[in-house]
Amino acid sequence: MSTRPDVLVLPEGSGTRPRGHAAEGPARRRIALLGNPNSGKTTLFNALTGLRQKVGNYAGVTVEKKVGRCRLPSGQSVEVLDLPGSYSLQPASPDEIIVRDVLLGLLPDTPPPDVIVLVVDATNLDRHLYLVLQVLELGRPAIVALNMIDAAEEAGIRIDETALERRLGVPVLAIAAAKGRGLGNLRRMMDREIEPSTRHFRRWPDPVRHAIEGLETRLPRLPHVPERSRTDLAIALLLEDGEDDALARAVPAGVLDGLPAIRERLDQQDPGWRQGDVLGRYDEIADIVKIAVVAPGEARDETRERIDRVLTHRIFGPVIFLLLMGAVFQSVFAWAQPAMDLIDALIHRFSRLVEAALPAGPLQSLLVDGIIAGVGTTITFVPQIAILFLFISLLEDTGYMARAAFIMDRIMGKVGLSGRAFIPLLSSFACAIPGIMATRTIDNRRDRLTTILIAPFMSCSARLPVYALLIGAFIPNIWIGPVTLPGITLLALYALGIAAAVLVAWALKRTALKGGKPLYVMELPPYRMPSWRSVLVAVRDRSILFLQKAGTVILAVSIILWFLASYPKGGPEATRLAAEITTAQQAGDPTAAAQLERELAGATLRESFAGRVGYALEPVIRPLGFDWRIGIGLLTSFAAREVMVSTMATVFNLGTHSDEPVSLRQTIRDATDPTTGARAYSPLVGLSLMVFFALACQCMSTVAVARRETNSWRWPLFMLVMMNALAWLASFAVYQGGRLLGYG
Amino acid sequence: MTYPTLDQLAPGQCAVVVSVGGPVAIARRLMELGLAPGTPVELVRLAPLGDPLELRVRRIHLSIRRSEARHIRVDAT
Repeated sequence: MSTRPDVLVLPEGSGTRPRGHAAEGPARRRIALLGNPNSGKTTLFNALTGLRQKVGNYAGVTVEKKVGRCRLPSGQSVEVLDLPGSYSLQPASPDEIIVRDVLLGLLPDTPPPDVIVLVVDATNLDRHLYLVLQVLELGRPAIVALNMIDAAEEAGIRIDETALERRLGVPVLAIAAAKGRGLGNLRRMMDREIEPSTRHFRRWPDPVRHAIEGLETRLPRLPHVPERSRTDLAIALLLEDGEDDALARAVPAGVLDGLPAIRERLDQQDPGWRQGDVLGRYDEIADIVKIAVVAPGEARDETRERIDRVLTHRIFGPVIFLLLMGAVFQSVFAWAQPAMDLIDALIHRFSRLVEAALPAGPLQSLLVDGIIAGVGTTITFVPQIAILFLFISLLEDTGYMARAAFIMDRIMGKVGLSGRAFIPLLSSFACAIPGIMATRTIDNRRDRLTTILIAPFMSCSARLPVYALLIGAFIPNIWIGPVTLPGITLLALYALGIAAAVLVAWALKRTALKGGKPLYVMELPPYRMPSWRSVLVAVRDRSILFLQKAGTVILAVSIILWFLASYPKGGPEATRLAAEITTAQQAGDPTAAAQLERELAGATLRESFAGRVGYALEPVIRPLGFDWRIGIGLLTSFAAREVMVSTMATVFNLGTHSDEPVSLRQTIRDATDPTTGARAYSPLVGLSLMVFFALACQCMSTVAVARRETNSWRWPLFMLVMMNALAWLASFAVYQGGRLLGYG
Repeated sequence: MTYPTLDQLAPGQCAVVVSVGGPVAIARRLMELGLAPGTPVELVRLAPLGDPLELRVRRIHLSIRRSEARHIRVDAT
């Protein structure tokens, strides 16, 4: 037995910090799980590693890297890598590119695995064998795990494992990962030294073979690419003519430049050369299946048919879909609320404790108003994220998600997105943060980026308090038919966000994110009972990932905002008020002292850096009808939009914890311009401000999570600039247009 | 005689793939997913709005758009 503690050690650059020290001595054996999507690979991964797994990213890309630890019968502990689901080593998505790069040894941070466990669905052996043959051709040690063997037996499919082993040249094991069947055998097999397959399944026509051999000789010795992968690298280069970075980086420009000419020559000699190997493998598979598999004809899955007849029905399908989405939305919106309130209350109580334990001063203020408030903001998002991912995992694992995408594809296709963009966008009405995290189900990179960039346009729940304040202050409660003007205004603000999203998606798809039309192919998997373990692991992973990655950025920005709103202290007005407070206290007048305290808080904010930024912003926001006080609010609301409300309360001397929104509405309506004495905000200013809030990106958490999900600062910064420019222009149009028409 | 394309089948109708055309990368991927010439295929149903299509090929259900199905010729006899 090893006494080494169970710590996970990931290579550098994997995006996850190791929790302990790197293990010394011989490198731990690495085993990779690989298979088609829906092969039950993740279920096997969870079963092998238990809860000892870590989720990170492959360096430089958004593809998720899942690594776990598994102890084998010999006592040896191995590292298990759950590679993204793939259909082919000829990649068509970022996930598949990663798989190819790992297997070819092109990724410096993830060396090729020592053993590959190929997970296949025993009920769909012929299609799943395609990837198996491709991987065996690489000549690496592999084990084939015939997963879901129970379902295959139930369907009357009999697989001769020995015959299959003979034909494939590697060990074949029957397992049922969800039931834990056969896992002992698999673990024992993983303990052994595995020989790579010596069979050759690849049938290239002569001209292609010559081209591959020619290329191979021109490839230099590459540091990370094993000698035996050179042939595979040459094939990958020949077949790939896209924008494949890792591959292009791996070879010198001279070789790359020669490729188009080689391809052109092959096109002339044999127009079908690029597909020849595909047909060759399927011929081989037909041979293998004939020998090793006995299946009772084309039996139909009647349960599936019956469910699908309802769920994808012309009328019931969309109705059920909308009801389900309504339930998901309502849950994220409403169910999370008690948990969020509880977290809020706990954080509040904790702040009070810290306040009581520490003397008043900069340290107490930094802890309470900066750090605890910042960490608190981060934690309050967790209930929404957890609930949304509970539903998403359930919908994914049961197989419904694919049907939802099938139903919605036509509509989402109109703005150039795929059906899978619907759930992230819907969730964004509750909060853009879980929404952006949910875009992981979109496999096309451009579709995913577009969805991330338009998600914050959906009016989230944090905008509601601001809308409520401004509508209450400026929109008269007039009935228009069966509805009220405030109701119509609220609806219009939601519609405005959606319209902006459609417009931006349309524009992005034609400019920055234009590209060859992506292929939409989606497998509609059979319906399955979800495993609670997988669902809970997904919920846990998402929550932890958010806290770790977005949380650090949110905390940093919170501290900066705290500093800006608290310093410098002791401006002229604040000094005067502090003196007056002392006088009032000495005179024994607590009411006057309390009023002065609120005025002091207001004065401190007005005289702080944030106040100065508000003043400095005035020339920029004056054309929108906003003054410096709103400017301060726009700055502080970057911590969270609803902070706008408490900032306004402080600016207008109502105290930070004003529980009387009515009085704040009144105060804002009656606010005067300190220099002219005229009313500062007309209803038109209110409308302009609402439009600004509907469109602007003023949420550091959204920026932080977009940074984490796109793995670069480029897109979140683009989002920030694009949304705020759009908000400015729209508010400008509303305010100046309104003035031209004689309002305000 | 020219063969009909996959999107011209009626829901529930079966056929055999004759050829897969269109952009090379897309044709290759469709073949890798099992839609290779000689493979039996069934058009199971259309999505509620008429697009995409649900296919059944090698016991697997695939969903592809009409725009891709137009490049796949099938023998429906």
